[in-house]
Amino acid sequence: MSKFLGLALGILAAIGGFVDIGDLVFNVSAGATFGYQLLWVVVVGVVGIIVYSEMCGRVAAVSGKAVFDAIRERVGFTPALGALLASEVVNLMTLAAEVGGVAISLQLLSGLPYRWLILLAIVGLAVIVWVTSFEWLERIFGYGGLCLLVFAVAAVKLDPAWGKVGKGFLPHLAQNNKLLYAYFAIGLLGAALTPYEVYFYSSGGIEDEWSPKELGLNRANAIIGYGLGGFLSFALMITGGALFLGHGISPEHLGTIALGAENPLGKTGLLLALVGILFAVGGASIDTVFSGAYNLAQFCGWEWGRYRHPRGAPRFTLTWLVLLVLALAIVMTGVDPVILTEYAVIFSVVALPLTYIPILLVANDKTYMGRYRNGRLANTLGLFYLVVIMVVALSAVPLMVLTNVGQN
Amino acid sequence: MEIDIALQVLDHQLLDKNGRRCGNVDDLAIEGGPGELPEVVAILAGPGYWPQRAGLIGKLAGWIGGGRRVRVDWSEVAKIDAAVELKRAATELGLGRGDDRLRPYLDKIPGAGR
Repeated sequence: MSKFLGLALGILAAIGGFVDIGDLVFNVSAGATFGYQLLWVVVVGVVGIIVYSEMCGRVAAVSGKAVFDAIRERVGFTPALGALLASEVVNLMTLAAEVGGVAISLQLLSGLPYRWLILLAIVGLAVIVWVTSFEWLERIFGYGGLCLLVFAVAAVKLDPAWGKVGKGFLPHLAQNNKLLYAYFAIGLLGAALTPYEVYFYSSGGIEDEWSPKELGLNRANAIIGYGLGGFLSFALMITGGALFLGHGISPEHLGTIALGAENPLGKTGLLLALVGILFAVGGASIDTVFSGAYNLAQFCGWEWGRYRHPRGAPRFTLTWLVLLVLALAIVMTGVDPVILTEYAVIFSVVALPLTYIPILLVANDKTYMGRYRNGRLANTLGLFYLVVIMVVALSAVPLMVLTNVGQN
Repeated sequence: MEIDIALQVLDHQLLDKNGRRCGNVDDLAIEGGPGELPEVVAILAGPGYWPQRAGLIGKLAGWIGGGRRVRVDWSEVAKIDAAVELKRAATELGLGRGDDRLRPYLDKIPGAGR
């Protein structure tokens, strides 16, 4: 049981990163547009985030350094400051989108007015983070998000053409609509490798007070947590493909996603889907608000972490409180959360290389890592994914413009 | 032991004697004339030193950060490990003051110590 509970960090980081509001819509839209053809891209993304999460978790456990410490030490002051600004903007956009997602799920569950629910969502999140230890935040939001497994049941019940599903796992290009296919592929990779996942994961390892003794736990967290996130992505995409492909429906609302579970499973399916979505977007709010505060505190050298308690880390605490207030202001303008996160995913790729290169460098540093530094496998995969990241970073914005944010 | 100042000291975390995170090494004061061996004499910490690191963007960030400058004599350094560890408490060295000033306000909210 305690071993199972120890996986909460990986599960929360993965659920918050893989099935947040943007991914929910993006995965189901990918299914609705291209059927099962993009499943292999999710596999590529999952392996990449496992490789880098394991690396940054190991660095955190051995040297006590979180990702933004490594960034500042390794890429120089000016690029690090640039990465900080980019990541803060993207974190805030994503946070605002997730808070909007929390309000939408609450609205679908209760029928109360959206704007009041935004306020409730923000106040609720602030109170929950203030009174709950990091350990329990991980557990509540990580395991609550597992209600999304209802989509796996839905996918099986919808009885998709399994032969085609199998083929979708083999890397291939699209026959037609190549640009849109590329846009979806880049978006799925960008979402799988979103920088806030590693910011949250590495700092979370320090919150959980990992030492080299926990390296096995780190590996299990990375593989099982992100593996599970990837599995949920598959389920969503298959559900989208089985239900919406060829019907000209492109889901752009969280309610449509939940229908994917209601169609085969009825009211219970709908309820589980909505509760799962609520915890997943709530978890993503925690991921992003903490990432924003971790990054600023680490860049400035302030005391940080929920484990230090608010009075032990005052500026860190003030930062996450301020971020919540800013997010409130953004969502209150009525901006569509789904569109906000699509932009956030695409812009976050600019911060990708500046985030992942320092992780690889520090994980190879003999002085800090000693015998725990990267082996051949981690370095081979790490270098391969740096190339993937570069391709994603260079093509994201042009593809967004060429496909009109995936609308054509 | 030989250390690489640029790689192992600059931009690293400062820890006081109690293990408290109390700033980063934002810059270093180095002395030495022509023909002499340059010597690091102090650690410079605080957003006030950011303009000399990053030009215009550093100026802006330093200004937003309040522009405080703290000079910590090199003799205060106890150990250079993953972080730069200091011999005294942060308050004695003038470090971590932002956190100390903010703490009384947060303390007014119930549960701040939990």
